[in-house]
Amino acid sequence: MSFWPWYGLRRGIQSTRYPYAPESAPGISPGRPVSTDFASADEAAGAAAVCPVGAITAVGSRVNVDLRTCVWCQRCRFGANPLHWDTGFEWTRSIKGSPLSEAFARSLHVMIVDAGDCGACLHEVKQLNNPLYNMHRLGFFLTATPRSADVLLVVGPVSENMRGPLLKTYDAMPDPKRVIAVGSCAISGGVFGRTFMSAGGAGSVLPVDLEVPGDPPPPLAILHGLLVVTGRKQIAEVR
Amino acid sequence: MAGIALLVFFAGCVLAILASAFARTSRFVMLWFGSLCSICLMIAAIARLATTQDFHLDLWTLNGFGSLSLHLDALSAIFLSVTGLVYMSCCWFAADLLPGRRYPVLHFALMMAVALILVAGDALTFLLSWECMSILCFLLVNYDQHADSRAGYIMLAMSEAGFIAIALAFLIVAGTAAGFSFPALRAASRTVPGSAPWGVFLLGFFGFGVKAGLAPVNYWLPRSYTASPRAFTPVFAGITLNLGIYGIVRLSGDLIPASGTGMGVLALVVGTITALVGILYATTENDLKTMLAHSSIENAGIIVAGFGAFLVFRSCGNPVPAAIALTASLYHLVNHSVYKALLYQGTGHIEEATGARDMDRLGGLIRFLPALSVVFLAGCLAISAVPPLNGFVSEWLTLQTFLRSAVLPSPLVKIVFALCGAILALTAALAVTCFVKTYAMTFLGIRRGSWKPNTANRHLHFSLNLLAATCLLLGILPTYVIPTLNRAVEPLAGASATAALVPPFFMATDSNQQLPPAFLHDFHNLGAQTGSGVIPGRGLVILLRGSDQNPVVFAMSPAYSIAALAILLLIVWLAVTTFTRRRSIARSEIWAGGIPRLLPEMTYTATGFSNPVRVVFQAIFRPNIIEDTRETVAVHFRTAIRRRRDETHLVERYFFNPIGQAVNWFAKLLAGMHHGRLNAYVAYVVSFLILILFLYRLT
Amino acid sequence: MTRPPVSIPFAEALERKFGSAVSRFAKDAYIVAQPEILPSVCEFVFWELECPFAGLIVEEREQWELRYVFLLPNSGWLHFLLRLPLATRNLPSISAQVHAADWYEREAEDLFGLCFEEHPRLGDFILHDQVWQEGIAPMRKAFDATGMHFEKRPQSDWRPTLVVQDPGAFAMPVGPVYEGGAGESVHFLLETVGEDVIRAVPRLFYNYRGVEKIAAGKSVDDVLLLAERFSAKSAFAHSLAYCQAVEEIRGLGIPRRATHFRVVLAELERMRHHAGVIDGICQSTGLSVSEAHAAMIEERLLRASCIFTGHRYLFGLNTPGGLRRDFENGAAQELLSAVDDASAQLECLEERLRYSSSFLDRLEDVGIVSPASSLDLNLVGPVGRASGLRRDVRRSSPYCGYEQYDFEVPSEIEGDGYARLRLLFAEARQSARLIHRATELLEPGPVCTGKMEMTTGAAMGAVEAPIGAALHWVRLDGQGRIERYRILSPSFRNWLGLHVAVEDFAFQDFPIILATFGLSAAECDR
Repeated sequence: MSFWPWYGLRRGIQSTRYPYAPESAPGISPGRPVSTDFASADEAAGAAAVCPVGAITAVGSRVNVDLRTCVWCQRCRFGANPLHWDTGFEWTRSIKGSPLSEAFARSLHVMIVDAGDCGACLHEVKQLNNPLYNMHRLGFFLTATPRSADVLLVVGPVSENMRGPLLKTYDAMPDPKRVIAVGSCAISGGVFGRTFMSAGGAGSVLPVDLEVPGDPPPPLAILHGLLVVTGRKQIAEVR
Repeated sequence: MAGIALLVFFAGCVLAILASAFARTSRFVMLWFGSLCSICLMIAAIARLATTQDFHLDLWTLNGFGSLSLHLDALSAIFLSVTGLVYMSCCWFAADLLPGRRYPVLHFALMMAVALILVAGDALTFLLSWECMSILCFLLVNYDQHADSRAGYIMLAMSEAGFIAIALAFLIVAGTAAGFSFPALRAASRTVPGSAPWGVFLLGFFGFGVKAGLAPVNYWLPRSYTASPRAFTPVFAGITLNLGIYGIVRLSGDLIPASGTGMGVLALVVGTITALVGILYATTENDLKTMLAHSSIENAGIIVAGFGAFLVFRSCGNPVPAAIALTASLYHLVNHSVYKALLYQGTGHIEEATGARDMDRLGGLIRFLPALSVVFLAGCLAISAVPPLNGFVSEWLTLQTFLRSAVLPSPLVKIVFALCGAILALTAALAVTCFVKTYAMTFLGIRRGSWKPNTANRHLHFSLNLLAATCLLLGILPTYVIPTLNRAVEPLAGASATAALVPPFFMATDSNQQLPPAFLHDFHNLGAQTGSGVIPGRGLVILLRGSDQNPVVFAMSPAYSIAALAILLLIVWLAVTTFTRRRSIARSEIWAGGIPRLLPEMTYTATGFSNPVRVVFQAIFRPNIIEDTRETVAVHFRTAIRRRRDETHLVERYFFNPIGQAVNWFAKLLAGMHHGRLNAYVAYVVSFLILILFLYRLT
Repeated sequence: MTRPPVSIPFAEALERKFGSAVSRFAKDAYIVAQPEILPSVCEFVFWELECPFAGLIVEEREQWELRYVFLLPNSGWLHFLLRLPLATRNLPSISAQVHAADWYEREAEDLFGLCFEEHPRLGDFILHDQVWQEGIAPMRKAFDATGMHFEKRPQSDWRPTLVVQDPGAFAMPVGPVYEGGAGESVHFLLETVGEDVIRAVPRLFYNYRGVEKIAAGKSVDDVLLLAERFSAKSAFAHSLAYCQAVEEIRGLGIPRRATHFRVVLAELERMRHHAGVIDGICQSTGLSVSEAHAAMIEERLLRASCIFTGHRYLFGLNTPGGLRRDFENGAAQELLSAVDDASAQLECLEERLRYSSSFLDRLEDVGIVSPASSLDLNLVGPVGRASGLRRDVRRSSPYCGYEQYDFEVPSEIEGDGYARLRLLFAEARQSARLIHRATELLEPGPVCTGKMEMTTGAAMGAVEAPIGAALHWVRLDGQGRIERYRILSPSFRNWLGLHVAVEDFAFQDFPIILATFGLSAAECDR
């Protein structure tokens, strides 16, 4: 007969110390492309042309990356004119609004809705429950019902069939509530864009407060987003 | 005083019958004459209970049979008071839902018959009025033309069989008595020869058990309760069921006291089985009236089980536990009359408003009938034995009597008590399930059927409110009810239950001889004397331990506890509203996972709610599920799956069907004689003649 | 990659039975002359010749071209091509004979507007009735994917058809937003009378993004992105199938180094996917410590994937002609040690789970799919193999050099939850073995062939994805763009079989049975 408590205790504590200590274990994040300077404008243009979704724009001999559109296909990383890729995972951008009040800082209930997601972003959120990240120690929980949720995580480009259920979920959440769009599909439609079947991101359907870019964003990036929405971490507001 | 009240009562009933036979407005007759007669009954009962003088009146004398007399003692007074109260509310209720213009004739006639049974002073009066009551019940059950008429006939047949058994029981004893009057029968009961006491007991028990609703002779009860008109069912459940219990208590408790523990154990076991079977079928039943009928069977079982415990304790020489048992039994009877009448009246209102009685087709009534939903909830809570309502007290007392079985000498009897106590606890739990399901499926949720709510009759909930208030009062003032019941219990049990159950802790002077003075002195020093001049009333004993020299008592006063709780809640509510911000309430639709609309087909049905009970007790139900599927192409292309459930009732399966089969078999055997051949018939006659001559020759 | 031609006995049997009505068209395709004999042809091929039905491919060209794809039991596949004029709307349905074709025909009806006669249940499949009006047919060429010119139906008259007609029956709705532990959007109506589920109707396609429609007219590289990202948990397998189809059209040969790395990455994905399914099973039964253990194994494999390839889910690696980047040998050795560690952890977990009787109680004899049902509905992958069907694309149509590897294809017979769990562990073991072998066979060389010619044509790529056999059909036009992209995903087939497992079991077992199937709604919905 398996004695599970003993197996569990023997493993010891495996959780990361983030956010109380920086986390830099290999493999926790794919990194992101950052603005790079090239030797000439031609090289910059060549580097920008590699991107299939047009996230890289060349300005002179420098290329800028729009993380909202980037789909992490890595073609700019291994091509003829590779861009620099940054490590790290704190990529959250705030669109509007203020973080939730102090009351939610250590007790946050998160509702996640799959609105046409490929499965990766959803899986990364699920990984936040495993012992290596363990978001419970920070007071964050996943709920099954929007009635007790404070934050709505939207993943996927919001397919038409899910538009109605997503709106119902948002309406069923009591105030105060915040919406986080997780992943490039939820921010800008990703590789699917805006078609008859996908709304091109959660922003066309709901008022979005935070965006976490990535395809998919690694679990720590999503955790960073949750820390920002509760005010435990600060970022510069954009626009 | 009692005599005058009874006289006014009878006069009022006769006048009411005449008035309703000829007048045009029967509602007026019902309301006013009904109230008058019920109040008279209650006055008569209270008059008897206030004094200790029995009321006796000899009517006329018949040759060879003795005199017909009326005798009102404490036991009758209790039954009379309950009858009066329930009748009053039923008259008010029926006044608006009269099934016909001539209905009050039968109603008042039945009232007279019931009163006569309860105040009968000799066996003849009793039997005559019992028969009248049976026939009137049959007429009332079959009043509705379009209802199930077979139900009435079955009831009549079983009532008549019961009547014959009762009559035989009386006759057996009257054989050695000096007449038919109750005192004569009481005196003769000691000289009944041989095993006749068992015969008397069994005949009386099962004969009265027909009306009381004991298994297996309660076969008629669910169908008749369901088929009876709306105005009559509360009376049926609240009053006539009591008559059966009255008969059992009178016969086996008072007139011909049951001797030996065997009879008591039999009563206990039959009561317990009745209770269990009743509540099982109630939990899985979807029709409101049938469910309440099965619940009445359960409650009758609990009452009779308490009575059986009383008999056992009395025959083993423990008068105080016997008194407690009988008190519990009578308390439960009073409670049952009140809350069952309440629930049946509520069901009548529901049927009037929606036209539906099936729980699977109701739902969401709390929005259309808010006042009724509150009162119905009170009834459901009362029958589920939730404090502070009355069901809690009687259920508690019943379980207490089983806990006191430790004083019994025989270990076998103690085991039987333990088992029956456990089964009764199970029935209490199942009763909660049953009524949670009833209330939730009927009032809460989404409307499931296609009926339109007819809110025309929203007024006249006065009868329901009266009964609900009575439930509450009976629940918070048991310390007054128990001494009242004790007046009837003491002569039968031989000891008083008041002292053991309701000691006067809050009184300055101790009138309690059971506890030693030193203890009382210490107790007073602890502060029980505080406020003794201000607060009257007594505590209800919860636990009594230790010996007479060193008693330890835990007591609680329900009335004061409820009052304290109410005050505390009020204080908390005031604090919350004063010190917190006013929050706005946002209303939005039900969260159902994001589907467009929550349809009624997606909410739990009554069948689904009670399905686990049906599955767990499958051995008792033995359902036959006939699944009829229609496939079009393959297994996963079924377009319709139809299932039908066929169940035969347990009593029918194990009792009546075998008897029926035996009778059929015997009849077929005898039918072999009816072949039509003339020669054979002549041979029958000749052989019978020869047999008679031969027998004549022998003797 | 080469496939053997249709074997002689099949050809003879078809010739004998149908004569000239079914004529040979290409190496692996037959033309069915009249639509009326199609049902009997399909019935013959499915039941007599015992070829599993893989899917239906509908193309709108100058005429309707419907391809009914059957897999040959030991090698390759077989297409039955039906050509109809574009004005045709009605065809005979083969669902009565081949039950596995049920959902393919419903999909064709919703997306193309073709009506399959005698199919008992058309409509409200992909385009949900409460959102879309009838008759839209988005896959037709005339429909503009970027426009929003349709009308939507109001939602107030939505009423699902319920099958059970018992007075006390009700339908418990589950979803589409239901699971707190991050579940995908699927809707179920569990019809029951309180204890047992009598009928379970899944309603999928809440995640339908119209991948096949978006792909039409895009370049090969752009559609490669779509092929990767419609189902991220099997991203590598699907991108591999797509690349194989394109490579076959263009006649590209793949360098040996690339084939070995492709095997390594495909098996790495399979291991990680199976660890995730095991995590889901442990979560559904509530055994928290084992769930934490399985989740950690999966996380470590994700991190190993990230270190090795730069992306946790193996995006952006495949390209037609090979791989997009090369890997150092040191990195490969690091990956091997991570795989060994994960493999050892999985064995330890399996051993512990085997001795947890309360856990096994929830899985054994629960959610049984009989061998006959799985054959009838053509279930693939671990679900099919747990019910006795020993089918694996790696064996029947080997790709990437799988024929040279020595590995087993485990299978079980009971078809209950525990059989599926055992199968997941066994397949993970085999994957670890394959990764080792492929790494040993690595030789230096290029990872991509450079030439890209513009050829037209159509081909099918078949890959054993973690959930089952995935087939991608690609048709290129002359300018290097996709004319038609059709995905026959394994989840699409296995979701059809879920209701067989769920019916007649208790309510409480439903989430557990769902977890043991390990299905992906995104992969089914596309």
